[in-house]
Parts: sequence; C-alpha cells; structure tokens
Amino acid sequence: MFLINCPFCGERDQSEFKAGGEAHIERPKQPTELSDDQWAEYLFMRKNIKGVQFERWNHAHGCRKWFNMVRDTSNDEIKLIYKMGEKPPTE
Amino acid sequence: MLNYKSSIIEDKKYSGLSIKEISPIMKLNLRGKSRDFLSTIGKNINMILPIEANTSSSSDKYTSMWLSPDEWMIISNNIIDKENNNYEIEELLFNKISKTNLGSVTDVSDQFVLINLEGESVFDILSSGCAFNFNEFMQKKGAVTQTLLAQVDIIIHHKEINNINLFVRRSFSEHLMSWINDAASRL
Repeated sequence: MFLINCPFCGERDQSEFKAGGEAHIERPKQPTELSDDQWAEYLFMRKNIKGVQFERWNHAHGCRKWFNMVRDTSNDEIKLIYKMGEKPPTE
Repeated sequence: MLNYKSSIIEDKKYSGLSIKEISPIMKLNLRGKSRDFLSTIGKNINMILPIEANTSSSSDKYTSMWLSPDEWMIISNNIIDKENNNYEIEELLFNKISKTNLGSVTDVSDQFVLINLEGESVFDILSSGCAFNFNEFMQKKGAVTQTLLAQVDIIIHHKEINNINLFVRRSFSEHLMSWINDAASRL
C-alpha cells in the first residue's frame, strides 16, 4: 500500500486509484499507411521495465480524473506526478 | 421522489453513534468547466459553487459539494415533497445549463441514499473501514471527500462537527448499512 498525491484531491490511498498503462503513446497521424506490424506496435506493445516508468493513473474512486505519474517499478517510489496534457520531464 | 422501499428499515443507536436515513432529499449532479457555467449557476441559485478541492458551500436551501474540478453535487438542505418528482431548481438549471450547452444537469435524487451519522464515534467507525486520513477532515466543517468505505464508493460531507452525511449508491446501501451496524456493534 502506498499513498498517491492526486493533483486534484490531495494525498489518497492507492486503493482509490487505477493504473492506466504507459503514458505518452501518440496515435499515428496516418493509420491507413501503416503496416500491420507497425499498427500492432502502436496498439499493443508496451514497455514493462524494471526502473523508472511513465504511467497514466486514474483516481477512480475519487475525482475520476486522469493524470500522469513517473514511478520506479522496482520499489514503487513515485518520482513525479503531473497533469494530463503536460509535457513529460526530460531527465 | 419515486415510490420505493428503502433497504434501511430503522434508525439505529449505539454508544456515541446514531444512524438514520434522511429521505427524500433532492440531489443534482452538475458538470461543466467554463466560466459561463459557473457564473450562470451562481446567478440562478444564489450560491457560488466551491472551486477549492474537497470543500462545500451552503445557502439556506441548498448545499453544493465539490466532487471533481468539473463536477459538483447540489443537495437540498431539507426534506422535499414525497409525491413529487419535479424540482424547480432542476428545471431552472436544465433550461439555463443543459439546453445552452454550458454543461450538464442530472437528477441523482434516487441514485444516492443519504445516511446521516452523528456522535463522537463517527470517525472511529469510518476509519475502521476506510484508508482515508481523517485527521484534517474531522476538524473542518463543510469538508467533502469521495473515497471507499468497506470497498463501497461513498461521498462524505462533514455537516457539523461529529455529524456527517454519507452518500452511497442505492444498490450498495443495504450492504453498507449492515457493515456499519456490524462495525458499530463492536466499537
């Protein structure tokens, strides 16, 4: 169990949140011009790294808003939380 | 208010805690973002929607609660007419907000059940089934939060010190009440 600082509601327990997968995946501008492999890459392939990962989270049982989180998957340390639409930090 | 049978049959009393359902209460869900939305509502119900997170504001007739940056719930402070399913304020806001595409107005009177908990053990009960940190909440009159109590989605409004309104979806109300009664019997 860990605490997540929702950018709208403040610090809440993890049980109120749902993880929404990898963040900052852009939809290809011209899907019709892609090969099946490229399309599958966009649609299904996700990073699952041990270490710092960019993720989307949803405060499902609170304000129901989405936000981005930078989390270390090896120890659940939350590095940064920022709102949807904001640019990811470049480290 | 629709003609329904409440699953909460009787008021309960424990040492330091009394539980009762308050019904019927009008509840409206408002969604919108624009400045026009906020000012139109302010003008029409003589109450400014709370912008600050986890807070509420009250007038003599209504209380509005912050649920999310673009979502609020307005409830009537007093019990409304049992036989009537139309509310003046809903019609007014529907015409001014929904029809002009400023936002949405939804009647959720029958969706939520309002359970009132009163007494010095209120927050002991809540803390026993909820991971929310009530330390600040219990000091602050008018505070609002949405969280999970015994895995059930709830909205808590701190009405007066040691007196809270708990909103729960109707289909979960029976389960939640039996959980509260069970927890209260072992306080």
